[in-house]
Amino acid sequence: MVGPEDAGGCSGRNPKSPPVPAPESAGQDGKMIRATGGFGGGVGAVGPPEEGEEEDALPMVVATLLDSHSLTCKVGRRGLSLTPGLGFDLSRGERNWVCVVLPAPEYEARTGRACKPPPQSSRRKNFEFEPLSTTALILEDRPSNLPAKSVEEALRHRQEYDEMVAEAKKREIKEAHKRKKIMKERFKQEENIANAMVIWINEILPNWEVMRSTRRVRELWWQGLPPSVRGKVWSLAVGNELNITPELYEIFLSRAKERCKSLSETSSENDTEGVSIADREASLELIKLDISRTFPSLYIFQKGGPYHDVLHSILGAYTCYRPDVGYVQGMSFIAAVLILNLEEADAFIAFANLLNKPCQLAFFRVDHSMMLKYFATFEVFFEENLSKLFLHFKSYSLTPDIYLIDWIFTLYSKSLPLDLACRVWDVFCRDGEEFLFRTGLGILRLYEDILLQMDFIHIAQFLTKLPEDITSEKLFSCIAAIQMQNSTKKWPQVFASVMKDIKEGDKNNSPTLKS
Amino acid sequence: MEKASSHSRRQQGPRLGTGRGGPGVGWQVDPAEGVDFKMKTIEVDGIKVRIQIWDTAGQERYQTITKQYYRRAQGIFLVYDISSERSYQHIMKWVSDVDEYAPEGVQKILIGNKADEEQKRQVGREQGQQLAKEYGMDFYETSACTNLNIKESFTRLTELVLQAHRKELDGVRTRASKELALAELEEDESKPEGPVNSSKTCWC
Repeated sequence: MVGPEDAGGCSGRNPKSPPVPAPESAGQDGKMIRATGGFGGGVGAVGPPEEGEEEDALPMVVATLLDSHSLTCKVGRRGLSLTPGLGFDLSRGERNWVCVVLPAPEYEARTGRACKPPPQSSRRKNFEFEPLSTTALILEDRPSNLPAKSVEEALRHRQEYDEMVAEAKKREIKEAHKRKKIMKERFKQEENIANAMVIWINEILPNWEVMRSTRRVRELWWQGLPPSVRGKVWSLAVGNELNITPELYEIFLSRAKERCKSLSETSSENDTEGVSIADREASLELIKLDISRTFPSLYIFQKGGPYHDVLHSILGAYTCYRPDVGYVQGMSFIAAVLILNLEEADAFIAFANLLNKPCQLAFFRVDHSMMLKYFATFEVFFEENLSKLFLHFKSYSLTPDIYLIDWIFTLYSKSLPLDLACRVWDVFCRDGEEFLFRTGLGILRLYEDILLQMDFIHIAQFLTKLPEDITSEKLFSCIAAIQMQNSTKKWPQVFASVMKDIKEGDKNNSPTLKS
Repeated sequence: MEKASSHSRRQQGPRLGTGRGGPGVGWQVDPAEGVDFKMKTIEVDGIKVRIQIWDTAGQERYQTITKQYYRRAQGIFLVYDISSERSYQHIMKWVSDVDEYAPEGVQKILIGNKADEEQKRQVGREQGQQLAKEYGMDFYETSACTNLNIKESFTRLTELVLQAHRKELDGVRTRASKELALAELEEDESKPEGPVNSSKTCWC
């Protein structure tokens, strides 16, 4: 016999669901649907029906019954209204099925009782805690042509049904609690951001040089910069050693535009310069291609998007400004993050200065021997902080370049969710290159347990595409737990000693590629 | 059967570049800085083989880095783009890099990709065949877009690697699978726009 487990044909959660065939049963005809309970607590994420809302807007539940006659149950404030489909006879006396739309907790007690309008007020007052609607189809009596249920069987069915409802309720309450907690945290975060913003604007920024390295500011900085001052703080922290002015940017931009134009006009005929023209052309082509692949999910850097031209301008101007570095894949992500936080000229100034930092210069020039030194320094701290994982990686000859190259080149903007990447940038601006490697160790620490279970290819895949549900709280607590002090040495000292050790460089590696 | 990692790559940017087959064999869609890793289990001669695919960055600048990965490869795809003469000419340089860096006995296959773009063709099929013959390699023209020869070329390279490692293989034949590392070299001459590479149509 069909028990409550087969319920669910009449789903309040998915009001648009197609007619669901009812569970098979011996009974063939003569049913009456009796609707019970109101519809409280809301449908899915929609929330409870608002006062004065048209009933038409309320969900509709279509139940297909045993003989495939359909019955439309409309869920209104007064309960369920039923519209029988063709060939459906409501007047017949047998009562075999009850379609129960189980909403707020107070109704499930009435399950199976007559249809009554739900008392609205009590249901409303704390709806955040209310579970979502629950629906169930329970078999109340067997069709008349079959022997009736025994008392025990009926009792058992009732009991099973109650258990199921209780379970669903429990689950939904739990989910509601979780949602509420998230909301609460979000509110708190927003409040923190708002408070921090005031402090940054009124106190810190006007006294930048004095305050930037105070403990209080550093702590506030670690919490993440409010988006409204983020670009400003980044600019100040990155500085402008190169003394680039907006005018200078305009000059390089127009030069880039000219070059682009002349290349497209003459490239086919003018092949006298051979490689260099071809290279330049290739790099211009590559910029175009990479722009379309920069944060594709945001749809703002792609062709026709609002920042497409800005990104193109900055990258093009940079290749003219620094022909010795040129365009290197990965740059488009850095420029894009800056564009999201700064005005065009300021973004360019920050971009050029950022790429002029020793670590970035080493990477973007693909100075392999320097990169190896960074990796070696990273490994010193890796072993120190996560020795077990370090050995695990060693056993698969999984070298840090496999994941670090991607992370360092794009400053995590490709591997981490954008908001989290921005928080990493915040502290990177505060602490410098060492924080990039500390973040890397934080990520490894966060996923240490999972990584210890994986083999080479799984680790490589995992680390080159990190899970998307990574949260800033978890990551930053892991980063905070990473000690960047090796016995008595800190990052700069360890790096310096690595430099000394590999003075001659790796002979296996070709010299730095000339641009 | 091996299970791929649970998180999926973003698939928005059509990147048919060169040699990029369907996501089933793993093709990157983002600008790559280092190496993109994929794996695939295929059956060759009744043996389940899990292949690791290392898709190395395309930009020439990165070759200082990517060369380091050749030495870990057992099989290498040298991929050019039939719509780019330049990418074809590059193959020769690559072959010398591979000879220098890759281990002895590494298996190589020459691939002319974007075979669906007949109207933009700059490198004839015979040119590809000729070059492959010179180097003693197998040659395929493939299309990541239409899936032409994708499965065939992967299976072929896997077979070659298995043959080259027959001795070791006999030892593991009793075991269920053997892991191979195939590195794919790739010339990044891809065009910015192209038909979207649907994951459904590709070899999976």
